[in-house]
Amino acid sequence: MESVKQILVVDDSRVSRLMARQYILSMHAGWLVEEAASGEEALQKIEGYTPDLILIDVNMPGMGGLAAAEQLRARLPHTHISLLTANVQTATRNRAAEIGVAFMEKPITEARVAQLIAPLEA
Amino acid sequence: MSFTLSELEHDALVEIFNIGVGQAAAAMSGIVNEAVTMSVPSISFLNRADAAALLGHRGEQAQRICGVSQHYEGAFETEAILMFPEDKSLEIVRLMVGELVPLSELTEMEQEAMSEIGNIILNSCVGTLANIFEQELQGSLPVYHVGTSEDILSASGSAADSVVMMLHIDFILEMHQIHGYVAFILDVSALRDLKEQINLYLSRVMGRN
Repeated sequence: MESVKQILVVDDSRVSRLMARQYILSMHAGWLVEEAASGEEALQKIEGYTPDLILIDVNMPGMGGLAAAEQLRARLPHTHISLLTANVQTATRNRAAEIGVAFMEKPITEARVAQLIAPLEA
Repeated sequence: MSFTLSELEHDALVEIFNIGVGQAAAAMSGIVNEAVTMSVPSISFLNRADAAALLGHRGEQAQRICGVSQHYEGAFETEAILMFPEDKSLEIVRLMVGELVPLSELTEMEQEAMSEIGNIILNSCVGTLANIFEQELQGSLPVYHVGTSEDILSASGSAADSVVMMLHIDFILEMHQIHGYVAFILDVSALRDLKEQINLYLSRVMGRN
């Protein structure tokens, strides 16, 4: 029986959260997908649980995705974390590597989501 | 106006934006799942009011458009704007989300979804430019507008008579016959910064320091 994985999608765009959720559930209907609309909300959410994977946008109101990803990485050293962003600049990719999180560019597609959740399927 | 570009600088500018636009076309194609063709960028120096007129009066009459703009600053400053005819907006959003979202919810999300589409396409282009210039550009959050091109351009900044460079690119979603365009607006001070970046780029690619 497949173990249930928990994924946190952090994006200020509701449609992006919805697309990521739907693609994940179309591949693993039993997995649990939580959503947060900001970095601050994501940090609050992880007080209550530990997701297996966090997908986080960069360009968001408030603290922004990079600062949030850095704090999430510090608090959850064993969780898979990936930026999922339209910001394709080398500087952003380098920053992701420095923080210790993966990088995936938008748009959100089924193939990209499949690639992001692959480490949880191993 | 006092700003000029040499032939080489002009060529480099068009080529660099061409590469950026190619990336934006790829991103757009990924969003709508169909081929997207884009024109070679055209550059005009004109005042803001004429820029608006050029964008707005492409058919018989001024059309209402929906636009998503983002302001970028860093190595140079620009206002990047993605525009579509207003009546195609929902169709584009539908192409993006497919069957993932019911139509009833989609209408409610239209504005937010268009902002996200603008965010992806504009960042794809501007991010590529930043990479070519080996610089970082910080972008604002996307802002959604509906109105005439005059409304959209006047919402994005300086006075109507200030001279700007408008670099615009048409793109077409062939299957759905949707035409849109991307415009970059730079004022004279931003143009000087951009010119400096172009010359640094030319120095690198031509092996000069």
